Amino acid sequence: MLWYITQSKVYRMHRYIFRRLLLLIPVMLGVSFLVFTIMFFTPGDPAKILLGERAPEAEVQALRTQMGLDDPFFVQYGRFIFNALRGDLGRSLTTRRPAALELFARFPATMQLAAMGVLVAVLIGIPIGIVSATRQYSVFDGASMVLALIGVSMPNFWQGIMMVLLFSIVLRWFPSSGYGTFAHLIMPSLTIGTSSAATITRMTRSSMLEVVRQDYIRTARAKGLSERVVITRHALKNALIPIVTVIGLQFGYLLGGAVLTETIFSWPGVGRLMVDAIRQRDYPVVQGGVLMLALTFSVVNLLVDVLYAYIDPRIKAQYK
Amino acid sequence: MKHAKKVGLLLTLVAVAFVLFVSAGTQEAAAGKSQDVGTLVVGMPGDPRSLDPQRTNDQPSARVMKQIYDTLLYQTPDLEITTNGLVESYDIISETEFAFTLRQGVKFHNGEELTASDVQFTFERMREINAPAAFLVAALDRVEVTDTYTFTMHLSFPFGPFITHLAHPATAILNRTAVEAGGEEYARNPVGTGPFSFVEWRSGDSVTLRRFDDHFRGPAASERIRFRIITEDTQRTIALETAEADIIYDVGPNDFDAVRDLPGVISFQTQGLTTFYMGFNAQKEPFDDVRVRRAINLALDVEAATNVAFRGFATAARGPLAPTVQFANTDLPGYGYDPDAARELLAEAGYPDGFSTSIWTNDNPVRIMYAEIFQEQLRAVGVNASIEIVEWAPYLDRTARGEHDMFMLGWVAVTGDADYGLYSLFHSSEWGDAGNRTFWGNDDVDRLLDEGKASPIPEERSAAYMRAQEIIFEEAPWVFLAFRDDLAATRDYVEGFQPHAAGHHVLYNVRNR
Repeated sequence: MLWYITQSKVYRMHRYIFRRLLLLIPVMLGVSFLVFTIMFFTPGDPAKILLGERAPEAEVQALRTQMGLDDPFFVQYGRFIFNALRGDLGRSLTTRRPAALELFARFPATMQLAAMGVLVAVLIGIPIGIVSATRQYSVFDGASMVLALIGVSMPNFWQGIMMVLLFSIVLRWFPSSGYGTFAHLIMPSLTIGTSSAATITRMTRSSMLEVVRQDYIRTARAKGLSERVVITRHALKNALIPIVTVIGLQFGYLLGGAVLTETIFSWPGVGRLMVDAIRQRDYPVVQGGVLMLALTFSVVNLLVDVLYAYIDPRIKAQYK
Repeated sequence: MKHAKKVGLLLTLVAVAFVLFVSAGTQEAAAGKSQDVGTLVVGMPGDPRSLDPQRTNDQPSARVMKQIYDTLLYQTPDLEITTNGLVESYDIISETEFAFTLRQGVKFHNGEELTASDVQFTFERMREINAPAAFLVAALDRVEVTDTYTFTMHLSFPFGPFITHLAHPATAILNRTAVEAGGEEYARNPVGTGPFSFVEWRSGDSVTLRRFDDHFRGPAASERIRFRIITEDTQRTIALETAEADIIYDVGPNDFDAVRDLPGVISFQTQGLTTFYMGFNAQKEPFDDVRVRRAINLALDVEAATNVAFRGFATAARGPLAPTVQFANTDLPGYGYDPDAARELLAEAGYPDGFSTSIWTNDNPVRIMYAEIFQEQLRAVGVNASIEIVEWAPYLDRTARGEHDMFMLGWVAVTGDADYGLYSLFHSSEWGDAGNRTFWGNDDVDRLLDEGKASPIPEERSAAYMRAQEIIFEEAPWVFLAFRDDLAATRDYVEGFQPHAAGHHVLYNVRNR
């Protein structure tokens, strides 16, 4: 195993991935330290929350001792890390079930929404971006850039409410809130997809504009290739790296930043769970939730980096 | 060209798929009730914490558990206590001894029959695991099983509201086999004797229940109930408007006028159990002087402020207990609004030019609005009050330590009994964290509250509480602000809905026509 990691030249790519996975450890430690510190210094006593306002002081104190809340900061942090490594994020102070269970129950809904959001964004963003770039300064370009600007500037919650007004109340096409069927997924994913679509459109456009000015594009045209082949085979492929980066970032952003959309559409995702948890001072759920989102975000970023190698043979070559 | 065709085909496929999905969605959304009349859909703002009545004491959980479990006694929507629960009859043997006879043939959802040993198990477990609502039966010493269907409850001290507390959802009767089999996950697999059995709980989204055909009162009116968690007020209203929900709880005050005007919707505005108040720190100058406390009561136009702060969805208070609470004194005159009398009283108390003080509140918009209105009205009688907004957790801590001058809080008399609504707030043994944050005390009130707490005889309790409320009114440790109304609404095809004053509505008789 060790030889494989250190010696094998064929598997440099794997080594790179392995190294990146190792890098996750300090990242997660940093995240956990931050979130633990913030929750530690937030006013409110977990023991009192657990026992309720009417609990006698002696009982609260006994529970504090039992929960180790009187220990020094670093002892508590160490214990938190040690337990988290074993998959034990503590018990939710409100439901008294393992925080990890609470989070996992909500995770599929969040992933589903983020994935659909990104899909919507990609389906809208890339084609419009390409057309805008190939017809720079045309009416279509101008119109799509204005739309992109509106898309970026429009707050999610406002757009969500407007969509509910139109599609649920007036037209009665989609359910106004809830989770379960595909129909429930459409409006939330359009809502979070739109702003990401705008970002992706702009990135596709600028990246494409840069690429189409390169010499090899002129060469490709000179060879007599059709414009379509020039754009999709030669230009887009080379323009993809920054676009994929943005898509990865957007995906990560949608994982954690969908709180408003989740609230508007009563979507049972991690974001809403965490907001409720913060409001109720449910420390284990907040800490676990941040860790989980940070981990997912990092893994998505890693996947994006690995994807570069498959898009761009030059990057892959570095690892061989 | 080949490539272009492929792309074209793919795009067409995506478009077709999208249209198909959209039309599927359309059918479901537009069909509304005609498809699934048997399922009653209830929209409520909060996710239950647990469906084990001994692991929580919160409203969303109680609202669901009320349908799954039964209690020994039964509390009607008007808060009357009846023997319509699991107990057929009971005898008061002495102040500390109650003998009960259970109904025979009552079945749990797992098929077992209810016996007295289940009752014993329930109350023993409640104490063992230190349930959040264990205080309700703190007086209970032990449950003695006399035979399969009879048992005696022995109290360690006389406790008047005991029978009332046996109708509270938190004292619902559990099944030993199910609790032991469920272990850690019992809260997600609850078993009761109630009219509905548990089907599924999708965290943050919904809880589904199914009719229990062997229920002792006969099968319920609806086949299924789905509680949907819709946190946003407006979204709940919209769900009702589009008939995605048949009933919604806790209509937002901002939406209520709109809801009232919606075609095909029936709205319910009923008196609840919540009291809002502004308390004085009676240990601190100048609020240790009853004249000052009365003067401030007179200086404030509570009725106008309440109408503004609650947009008309609350009744201005004239005493400490909402009229729905058992033994509430509804004859108290109220202080009224009389700034001249207030100025006179202040002068008499030695503050002809007023004084400077502060009003504390947490960041609750209704309380902040009250504080702002009061700030102006106090200025008119020479009292200069600053407003301090403190975050919730430190707010509770600091008011419990008595650091405040005046502060805003609310209290829900969850059991619907005067003991719960008065004891913690006005008894001098409850100063600080326990509930009496005014640090006010009065020997007569202490004695009367103790009397009401101890006596099992309703007439005796009533007399004690009426007098106690009179003294509290005269001594004015609070400015009595408001009793908040409960707001709910249903579609007009919903039959049998009757709001429960405590907010955990009974859905046994409710159905879609």
